[in-house]
Amino acid sequence: MNQTASSRQESDRLASKGWLKSLLARPEIGPIGVMLLLFGMLGYFSIPAGEFSLNPFAGEGFNALGIRNNLRVIAQLGIIALGAGLLIIAGEFDLSIGSMIGFAGACMAMVLRWGFAIVIPYVSFEGGVHIEFFTLIYIENVSPIGAIMITMCFTLFFGWLQGYIVVRSGLPSFIVTLGGLFFLRGLTEVSLRAFNHRPDQTKGATTVTELPDMKNIINVPGHGEIEREAAKALPEADLQAILQTVPADTVASITERLAYTYQRVADAKTEIMAAKGVKPLERALENAIESGNETMVATIREKIANFTVTPVTPRTVTDLDVVRTYIDSIPSAQPVANFFGGDILEPIFDFLYFPVDWNTNNFGNQFAPGLYSCVMIWLILALLCYVVLSRTQAGNWIYSTGGNLQAAKANGVPTDRVKISLFVFSAFCATIFATCQVFEVNTADAAKGNLKELEAIAAAVIGGIVMTGGFGTVMGIIVGAFIFGIAKEAFFYIPGIDGSFYRVFLGLVIIASALLNENIRKRIMGTL
Amino acid sequence: MADNTAKPLIETTGLVKKFGSFTALNGVDLKVYPGEVHALLGDNGAGKSTLIKILSGVFKPTAGEIRVEGKPVSFTSPRDATEAGIGTVYQDLALNALTSVTRNFFLGREITHFPGPFGVMKMREMDEIATREMAKIGINVADPNQAVGTMSGGQRQTLAIARAIYFGAKVLILDEPTSALGQKQQMEVLKTIRKVQKLGDIAIILITHNEIHARLIADRFTFLSLGEVIGQGASKDLEGDDIKRLMAGGAEIGDLAKELAV
Repeated sequence: MNQTASSRQESDRLASKGWLKSLLARPEIGPIGVMLLLFGMLGYFSIPAGEFSLNPFAGEGFNALGIRNNLRVIAQLGIIALGAGLLIIAGEFDLSIGSMIGFAGACMAMVLRWGFAIVIPYVSFEGGVHIEFFTLIYIENVSPIGAIMITMCFTLFFGWLQGYIVVRSGLPSFIVTLGGLFFLRGLTEVSLRAFNHRPDQTKGATTVTELPDMKNIINVPGHGEIEREAAKALPEADLQAILQTVPADTVASITERLAYTYQRVADAKTEIMAAKGVKPLERALENAIESGNETMVATIREKIANFTVTPVTPRTVTDLDVVRTYIDSIPSAQPVANFFGGDILEPIFDFLYFPVDWNTNNFGNQFAPGLYSCVMIWLILALLCYVVLSRTQAGNWIYSTGGNLQAAKANGVPTDRVKISLFVFSAFCATIFATCQVFEVNTADAAKGNLKELEAIAAAVIGGIVMTGGFGTVMGIIVGAFIFGIAKEAFFYIPGIDGSFYRVFLGLVIIASALLNENIRKRIMGTL
Repeated sequence: MADNTAKPLIETTGLVKKFGSFTALNGVDLKVYPGEVHALLGDNGAGKSTLIKILSGVFKPTAGEIRVEGKPVSFTSPRDATEAGIGTVYQDLALNALTSVTRNFFLGREITHFPGPFGVMKMREMDEIATREMAKIGINVADPNQAVGTMSGGQRQTLAIARAIYFGAKVLILDEPTSALGQKQQMEVLKTIRKVQKLGDIAIILITHNEIHARLIADRFTFLSLGEVIGQGASKDLEGDDIKRLMAGGAEIGDLAKELAV
């Protein structure tokens, strides 16, 4: 037997892997590349034709309004992708996310609109056998937080139930949650029709409208709680009375700010007028050069050189302007509604409007008031998920439950509890999505969230989650949401192609990602 | 070599296991001493698996007694056996190939900053312990964060053994640790077993089909056939042919040779 033991150890084999290879084994590297590509595309294609710029922020994709709208789409998808992604890492699926969004939104809106009641049906024998209803509890005016809590009770219970059925029966979660998908969507439509079946309602409608704009309900001195727009439309005398309650230094700073804004607006208008006025002259000049009329060219040149417009005089700041601006600055009296449906980073967007010329549209007005609050909620959730998945015991349990269920069980990991908790978390994310939507737009619709479950799964897959479980990161899920959310916008701006090409592109990206993920998984498993 | 005057760490007397009318074990006596490798040999269906499943708490014996350090024990679940100090390393090793060495080492028993599943893991401390414990029985892990999937079969075996010992196993049951491994890795595993043996306080029950490995490493043998002990003894008392003959279930290997020659 050959007994010359080599000094080389088994463990040395790993170290020979170069930095490039170990970088390529990072699950996020491919998706980050695609994300950067899409950002570049969106930036450059959204620059208006004929205006060459090296600055990608010059286009519509990344101006203040573009960022506000795009980040909203990304954040909404990102929220549900977190729930879907974590569940896939633990080896299960949730196809009921989209229906859960519709259900949660409808439930919340109905509770806000008509209140909450617990009704017990019973069979009555008085005057013929029929079913009577005994109202145990009826709360007519439910606060936003109350409506969210009530909705959470239903959705989290349903998430738990799906998880319980999956772990107890051993059925594939695909089937169980497919049932959930139909069940919840149907339940939502049925209950919306039932509740809309009232004399004052559109019969049979599957929507809830006419919710008050909760996030914009404010406390106005002398008028109590009132919607912001209603407060701004109060009679002049009332507004003057409100102005009397405002401290003098606040009035001074608002006045100063408004004066500055009006000046800016006037300057912008002047500039636009100048550009508009000089354009026909330039066209005439081109024609003249073409026709070779030298005197005409000289005359027009002179005209262009001497072209001036009278500067637009800025609006004067009136008391009404001041009081309306003051009303705009009153914080919401419904902080919960504002937390989910309001705006964030308003001071930064104000700053970008005033001293920086970025948040200004062609009329000199402010483009975007801030980012949608769901962006912040998404980032908070993502941070929590990152800590849980990468740093805590629960994270190790999630990975092992999806990676090797038998091994996890043998080591005492409560795999059933892990799975059920993640089904509940998935339902939680869907409910958060619905909450943001309801408080942003103040309506609910049974069709909301349609196909969102598949988008969430797609975002997770693009972000490097392996469908068989046990593999993936929160960073990847975030990147996946960016890619899915931004693709549509980026393709929309490409000149001369059908906007629906973004679906073609995403389809290819999903398959490519899945192949790449499998490759990385095999590399880590050592089978490649 | 084990001191025979020492008390056995684990001892079974008259262990019987019946599945309905089928008798899987029919009165097995076994004594395993600390610092000793006890090879459990036998043909397929001899009752090896049933025996180790009883010892690791998966099955309850129909009759008979198990004593750990002289005290009679009765297991109702694998957890009971683990708590009594019996660590079983199964063939599939119960590892998650997709996560790191450290995460596997502490799977289900993570060290956290505060209790509860959302306790943040003390990653550095866990890395140190995992590296140290594996070095003790012979493998220097280059990076405790490397995925288990990148390790060789022998290294995985070492990880599973180190884990069982660290979490309090006094009796280590190794279920065919060298099967499904390459030559070089088989030797690695044997070296690992030898290192554990040298720690002196751990008793090892080694189930194997490989007679050469058993001869190399075992201090004592027990041969099972049809649920009964057909031979038992210290390594030095057994002839090479005895082992072959007993492993084949007591059938005269010579007779077989004759039969085949016809």
